[in-house]
Amino acid sequence: MANTACFIIVGRNDIPIYEAEVGSAAKLTPILSIWQREDAAQLHQFILHAALDVVQDLAWTTSAMFLKSVDRFNDLVVSVYVTAGHTRLMLLHDSRNEDGIKSFFQEVHELYIKILLNPLYLPGSRITSSHFDTKVRALARKYL
Amino acid sequence: MVEPVNSSFGKMLLEEVSPVVMVLCTPLVEETFLKNGLSFVETLKPFCNFRNIDVPVRTSSDQLYRLKKFTLRLFYASDIRQPNVEVAKQRLEHVITQAGEKDFQDLKFDPPQITDILSNPESEIAPSWFQYYNKELIRTLSFSDHEAFDHPVACLLVVSSKDEEPINKFVDLFNSNRLPTDGTMDPNILKHYLLVHDNQDATTERTSKVLSEMRSQFGSNECNLLCTNSSKEGNVDHQANPWASFKSSVSADKLGCALTGDDIVEIKDLMQEFASRHIIPYMEQKVRELNQQISATRKGFRNQIKNLWWRKGKGDGPDVTKGSMYTYSSTESQIRILGDYAFMLHDYELALSSYRLILTDYDIDKAWKHYAGVQEMMGLAYFISDQSKKESEYCMERAFSTYMKLGKSGFQNALRCGLWWAEMLKARDQHKEAASVYFRICGEEPLHAAVMLEQASYCFVLTKPAMLHKYGFHLVLSGDHYKNCDQVNHAIRTYKSAISVYKSTTWSHIKDHIYFHIGQWYAIVGMHDVAVRNMLKVLDCGYQSKATQEIFLRDFFDIVKKTGMKHEVVGLKLPVINMSSLQVIYEDHRTYASQASALVEESIWQSLEDDIIPSLNSGKSNWLELQSKLLPKKYKESNVCVAGESVKVDLEFKNPLLISTSITSVSLICELTTNSDDLKLVDNEPSSSSLGPEISTEHNQVTTSGFSSFTLSEVDFTLGGGEKNLVRLTVTPSEEGILKIVGVRWELSGSIVGVHYFQSVPVKAKTARGRRKNKLTPTDALKFLVIKSLPRLEGSIDHLPEKLYAGDLRYLVLELRNKSESPIKNLKMKISHPRFLSPGNHEEELTTEFPDCLKKGDEQNIVQHETNRTSSVFAFPKDVSLQGDRSLRWPLWLRAAIPGTISLYYTIYYEMENVSSIMKYRTLRMHYTLQVLPSLQTSFEITPSPSRLQEFLVRMDIVNRANSGCFQIHQLSTVGCRWGISLLQPVDTILPSKSLLAGQALSCFFMIKDCRKSGTEDEEIMSLPPSQTDVKLFTQDDDEKLFDIVSSPLASFHDSERSCQGPSVQVSPNTVDFILISRLAKSSSPSVVPDLPKILTHHSCHNSIRSSSPLSWSLDGPQTIHHDFLTSLCEIKLKMVIRNTSEGLSSVTINTNDCLPDAAAPTSSSGNQSGWRYVPTVTEEMKLTSDVMGSRLGKPPSSMESSPPFIWSGLSSTKVQIQPLSTTEIPLQISVFSPGIYDLSSYKLNWELSEHESATSSGTCQGYPYYLTVLQSE
Repeated sequence: MANTACFIIVGRNDIPIYEAEVGSAAKLTPILSIWQREDAAQLHQFILHAALDVVQDLAWTTSAMFLKSVDRFNDLVVSVYVTAGHTRLMLLHDSRNEDGIKSFFQEVHELYIKILLNPLYLPGSRITSSHFDTKVRALARKYL
Repeated sequence: MVEPVNSSFGKMLLEEVSPVVMVLCTPLVEETFLKNGLSFVETLKPFCNFRNIDVPVRTSSDQLYRLKKFTLRLFYASDIRQPNVEVAKQRLEHVITQAGEKDFQDLKFDPPQITDILSNPESEIAPSWFQYYNKELIRTLSFSDHEAFDHPVACLLVVSSKDEEPINKFVDLFNSNRLPTDGTMDPNILKHYLLVHDNQDATTERTSKVLSEMRSQFGSNECNLLCTNSSKEGNVDHQANPWASFKSSVSADKLGCALTGDDIVEIKDLMQEFASRHIIPYMEQKVRELNQQISATRKGFRNQIKNLWWRKGKGDGPDVTKGSMYTYSSTESQIRILGDYAFMLHDYELALSSYRLILTDYDIDKAWKHYAGVQEMMGLAYFISDQSKKESEYCMERAFSTYMKLGKSGFQNALRCGLWWAEMLKARDQHKEAASVYFRICGEEPLHAAVMLEQASYCFVLTKPAMLHKYGFHLVLSGDHYKNCDQVNHAIRTYKSAISVYKSTTWSHIKDHIYFHIGQWYAIVGMHDVAVRNMLKVLDCGYQSKATQEIFLRDFFDIVKKTGMKHEVVGLKLPVINMSSLQVIYEDHRTYASQASALVEESIWQSLEDDIIPSLNSGKSNWLELQSKLLPKKYKESNVCVAGESVKVDLEFKNPLLISTSITSVSLICELTTNSDDLKLVDNEPSSSSLGPEISTEHNQVTTSGFSSFTLSEVDFTLGGGEKNLVRLTVTPSEEGILKIVGVRWELSGSIVGVHYFQSVPVKAKTARGRRKNKLTPTDALKFLVIKSLPRLEGSIDHLPEKLYAGDLRYLVLELRNKSESPIKNLKMKISHPRFLSPGNHEEELTTEFPDCLKKGDEQNIVQHETNRTSSVFAFPKDVSLQGDRSLRWPLWLRAAIPGTISLYYTIYYEMENVSSIMKYRTLRMHYTLQVLPSLQTSFEITPSPSRLQEFLVRMDIVNRANSGCFQIHQLSTVGCRWGISLLQPVDTILPSKSLLAGQALSCFFMIKDCRKSGTEDEEIMSLPPSQTDVKLFTQDDDEKLFDIVSSPLASFHDSERSCQGPSVQVSPNTVDFILISRLAKSSSPSVVPDLPKILTHHSCHNSIRSSSPLSWSLDGPQTIHHDFLTSLCEIKLKMVIRNTSEGLSSVTINTNDCLPDAAAPTSSSGNQSGWRYVPTVTEEMKLTSDVMGSRLGKPPSSMESSPPFIWSGLSSTKVQIQPLSTTEIPLQISVFSPGIYDLSSYKLNWELSEHESATSSGTCQGYPYYLTVLQSE
């Protein structure tokens, strides 16, 4: 399995509504030797958060939902999928398996829609369903 | 967009890429100028920038153009060499440190708003020292040998007039200071001679003599005189000091103090002349010369072919990267010089063409450094001449990547290239690309990387639209790098800017990282208070790993300790307060005996108290009236509490962390305003509620410490990781007034005081205990009107068991106590479950030990309990009054009626005597929960005895339902005097083991007898000795007496059982009530129920007698008859005895039926359940009857079918009238024709019952089987 670092679903107001560290943690590149190992989660969030700017620009230039890789930080690449409701599925990874990532995003999108259909789920709030979590992790194992 | 030349980068380029003048001077010259606090070069520097020099220039082409702007760079000869890397590094570090110290004061301010950042003009976004830093950085790279623009164009030789033999000095100066580099620089450069005359201490004569000597020696054109220091006193004050911007470290006003305005003008003129008369023409000439030379050797097709062929041969050799392969006289260097000079003379066309010419040469030669250098210059030339953007970018890119390819040695060059590139992009508003260039030149050295990252971040702000996320990210990266090389000030500065981006972020890790680190760093620079403020934001980090949480907390407390004071923090997140758990418990006229009773729904109490508290129109209106008189209208809505009685607040604290934290001194924050000035306060109310939290806090503190008009409880506890704790806080007002509960405060680890105000959060409506007052606002729910202290009754039940077996009968004592001096009276009590609890008759009634007091022979208890049982209100005797710590002990009987968990509520109403208060009465509410375990379960079946009319068989089934525990059966009694009971078997055979084990079932049989003889004999029956109604079911302890079931607790409990168990309206005459008294066997384990029950009573009421039709009858006759059928048929006489068991007159018709009962008859075909027909007037017993008959008919004995028929002889239908409760005999006769066994059930009794005049009922009874055996006599 390739090194995939972090998967985040970002709601409309740039609020993360789901986070998962999937796969083995990516190696940190020399420039970040000043960051300790346990800071990896923070770094991942920083990179993904910074990529939101680029997504904002890109999302309106194409009609496709899958934006491919939009940003990179050293070896780490950010791939993004924007749903119609402008929820962004962001994946930080270092492999170049674009097809797999695309399928992964599409399947997670379906899961997300199922979550949205739940009348008890308030759109924009954090996804706490453990079922969703298991499914996403299974998909990550399958495609990434 | 600005024209490239006028952009800041264009200006910078014009300054940086400009002719270098090498300065050689004697020590005396330096001395002269040091009087001004400046060296010679520094003195001249401000005058080397010419805005409008306006010199005509003609280079390669024949066209003249005018040079407007021009700059000269002056350097001491000793400086014209590649600077030492280490020294340069130190200087850069110094620059940064200085800048950091300058910013230090700003650090404690709050981070700027992001909108402010965006609205700033471009130039103010990045700190100004970046420009300076970049310049210094580029300077470290000057004088490299692959470039020509740093090579000195001219040499300025300076000698003071005080020097001895000045002419010789000039010669010596140049000879001793040869050009530093080994052959790449042209030694034949323009020389200019300058004599410095110090007006302060040199004579004019000597100077003019030396000057004339110089002129004759070196030529008059190349010599100049500079007179300085004209001011004798040396205190000239310059407005707009020209040196100030160049030298900031020394106080600016001292600079140039000896130079008058004339001196400055002289210096200016000197430099202008030097540039325009000497340098520019010299360069112009050189360019033309070189151009000609190069055109001759390199231009044209022939020359190019030749060059290529020659290169090819050379290119096969080893890869030479050393610069030394090109000396100043080599063609390549010449071309480069041509290009650079043309660049400096602003002839970019020529420059570009010459650069292009050598580019391929360097490429073929694999001289990568030179190649990159040329690419770089091309890029700049493209930019400044405003030509193709793409070209310039391409050139810079190539230059950059080529430098990078060179590895470490090329990195510095790549750095400069990158900086220029970035500047270039910025000048073209391509900030995003500029940022990525900055990012690429970060390099490995952290300090450098930090500066570059910070510059990158500012680029992101400048992009349109601003990329704030990237801005924040790069600031954070930069800050980390700063921290890594101990530039804490800068680190804080960058993080502070980053906070403005991340302020309201919900990305948890980001937030924690930023606030935690900036907090740490503030602590390093000693700003502990700011550090604490920032660290507070990371405390609520439940999602972090345990290790991280520990680090956070440890550092936080370290910093707090260092501040050395207690911080009071409003809205501290540790622990988290669950506001929905807030519950206020207070007592007005409703008082509670225990915590549990306070939590019971108010509606339960209200329904319980309905008929004991004064009704609305009588009592309540009075005190309402009174209240409205006493109190302003406003207070009617607020809750009432009594001085001296505590108001309790339940609040849940939750630890969000995985680490346990200790929380101490948790207490409420309250305000109590005394009655005297409450009116004033009411007026102030609206304004005070709008005050900020800080002010109201102060108000609190004052109130708390000033008057101690209320006392607060303090609670300490420790919360483990993720734990919740419900804390009970109390406030006890001691004076009348208005009490307000404002908030809660607590101490965290003894160093941080957390404060939480309730008002800021909406209190849920549920929390207000005053549910009656639905219009209460949340604030009002925490506001109390404190009234004068009142007597308060306390009550408890001693030794109330929590677990007991069903049927357990206990004697309990209710203890009531009034601690205050004023008496209370008119006590009433109401119990929610009279089936479980029944109050005793009088105070301390027991003289003998329970349960012996219930036994027979104890005459005092036989007194019938006369209390009216219909209402469950129990009024204490009128003379009962309590005061002054006297306690009242009242007996209570408890009987666990049914298994399960039972909530017992009872409320005691009392009135206060001689207290003039708005409260006339109070109620004490008590609540207990009992767990009742199942014990013995009894069921009875009563069937009429087939042989005796007055007697009935009773089968008692007992099952021990308890999980463990054996019971002994003690006694079975029938209630009332009608039924006498007797054993059918000896006691020993019923239960040989004497106790009933868990799960064991037992059946035993008894006989009961109706003692009533007839309707008129009732009185006689009543006088029968009661012992007849009890059966002793134990053998040992023969002397032990039986319990008297008519004694007060048993009888009263039986009454309530009766009303609970059975139909309360219709009391049918033919029912029997049984009481089984058992006790727990000694051997059973006591673990289940804490204290052993003494006796258990099991009441079973309304056991009806099966087949209790209004008639009972029996057929009397012989069982077996011998008859000689040969002689005659056999006639048998029978007698039917019919008893009317009902209260009414009945007429009975007996119909005998000679046909055999047919299987197809409607009664039998339908089987059993549906066999009865509903007759509206028939009583319920009737249904039972026909049911029994039907089922009996359904399965007739098989022998009957084979038996020969018999015929009823005599009367076939007889009608008789039977008086109530009387017996009639009717003779019957059958004729039998052959021997056999006969079932004589083929008769019917049709009865019609008229109980009263109006109501009549009728029914039919089938006959009983009666078997008659007729034998042939021998």
